[in-house]
Amino acid sequence: MSDGPVSEPILSEFSDDPEMMELVELFVSEMPGRIQELERCFEQGIADQLAGVAHQIKGAGAGYGFSQMTDAAATLENAIRGGETDLPSLRNEFDRLIDICNRASAG
Amino acid sequence: MHPRLEKRTVSNQDQQPLLLLVDDSPAIHRLLAFKLRNEDVELISAYDGAEGLESAQRQMPTLVLLDLNMPTMHGLEVLKALKGDEETHNIPVIVLSGSAQSEEKVQAFELGAMDFVTKPFDLPELRARIGSAIRLHRLMLMLGQRAQIDGLTGLWNRTYFDERLESEVNEALRGEDKTVSLAMCDLDHFKKLNDGFGHPAGDAVLESFAKILSSTVRSYDIACRYGGEEFALIFPGTEAHEAAGVCERIRKAIEEHRWTAYPEIRATASFGLASTPLPEVAGPTGWLEAADQALYSAKTNGRNRIHVHDGAGGFGDLPNLKLAG
Repeated sequence: MSDGPVSEPILSEFSDDPEMMELVELFVSEMPGRIQELERCFEQGIADQLAGVAHQIKGAGAGYGFSQMTDAAATLENAIRGGETDLPSLRNEFDRLIDICNRASAG
Repeated sequence: MHPRLEKRTVSNQDQQPLLLLVDDSPAIHRLLAFKLRNEDVELISAYDGAEGLESAQRQMPTLVLLDLNMPTMHGLEVLKALKGDEETHNIPVIVLSGSAQSEEKVQAFELGAMDFVTKPFDLPELRARIGSAIRLHRLMLMLGQRAQIDGLTGLWNRTYFDERLESEVNEALRGEDKTVSLAMCDLDHFKKLNDGFGHPAGDAVLESFAKILSSTVRSYDIACRYGGEEFALIFPGTEAHEAAGVCERIRKAIEEHRWTAYPEIRATASFGLASTPLPEVAGPTGWLEAADQALYSAKTNGRNRIHVHDGAGGFGDLPNLKLAG
């Protein structure tokens, strides 16, 4: 969904930890699936499921060294759980999360 | 080994802790497994509430790490079920949650959670909390066990005896071919011994007798100090003649025992035994009374002997038993 110029990759905070690398790579390789799921929920307007996927990303992101991802996911999840179920009005929060997910890189 | 007794033993708690992680996110499982790889713990995984519950009941983990926000079965439901089940009730639970709402925390603690960690978790902190939960849980088990142990002799105490007798007897009454034997035993002329040699001597005799009891009974028998110089033995799954054989070894051992600090002391004990089937005896209290009556009979017939309640209101020395004294 996010278009515009190709942005800088976001490196995992653990990109200098060789022991963590394999795990982070696996996590990053799963990002396209998560992005697809986010987009599907957004397009179909299923706020509840969108919050669920954001919740999972929030829980895992920082653990793999992507704290911005956790923050963006939390913002989106909290907005929906706070009662905002009109998804188009959350376009900015959604795009920000997708953008970070796209840029996440193991290094 | 009797299963319930086995769970209580301290040595069992020295095994490598088994951690059950219940979380719907595989990414969290991988991360935790990696971060705990150098810890002395074994990690098992469940990916939804129902699986977690089933796994907890089957594997009896040392600790459960429980995610709250899971589809199908919410973590709080899992927690409620764990705490409502007699078997899993004592397993400590650390709740992991993505939301830090205090309402949810309060709910988790009210349902019996031991600790609460907010995701994304800081792994050193989580490791420390896991360690602390395991230590705390061990101390609680130990305290619980202490409350059931007699301070002087180290045997199970009256509280534990009452609890076990009730469950053993009820089990025997329910089951078709369940047998159980109960022996009450009492050191003979103990008051005289205390008066003549002093209380420290009396305590030495009690301690020796307790040692004889615990080294003579089998691992699944239950030896308790009932009070004063009175002791009780529960023999699960054991017929009268077999139980009487154990009692006889105890009787002989205390009769032959000598104390270096008190060379003149001689001690003996009397035993009253009641076994299944005793149709006219109702419940644990009736059983205890039957054993007590047999003990009284042994006392009035010369002491230093074993009498068996025969189920018809009479008492006798067991036929195949050579009784000294």
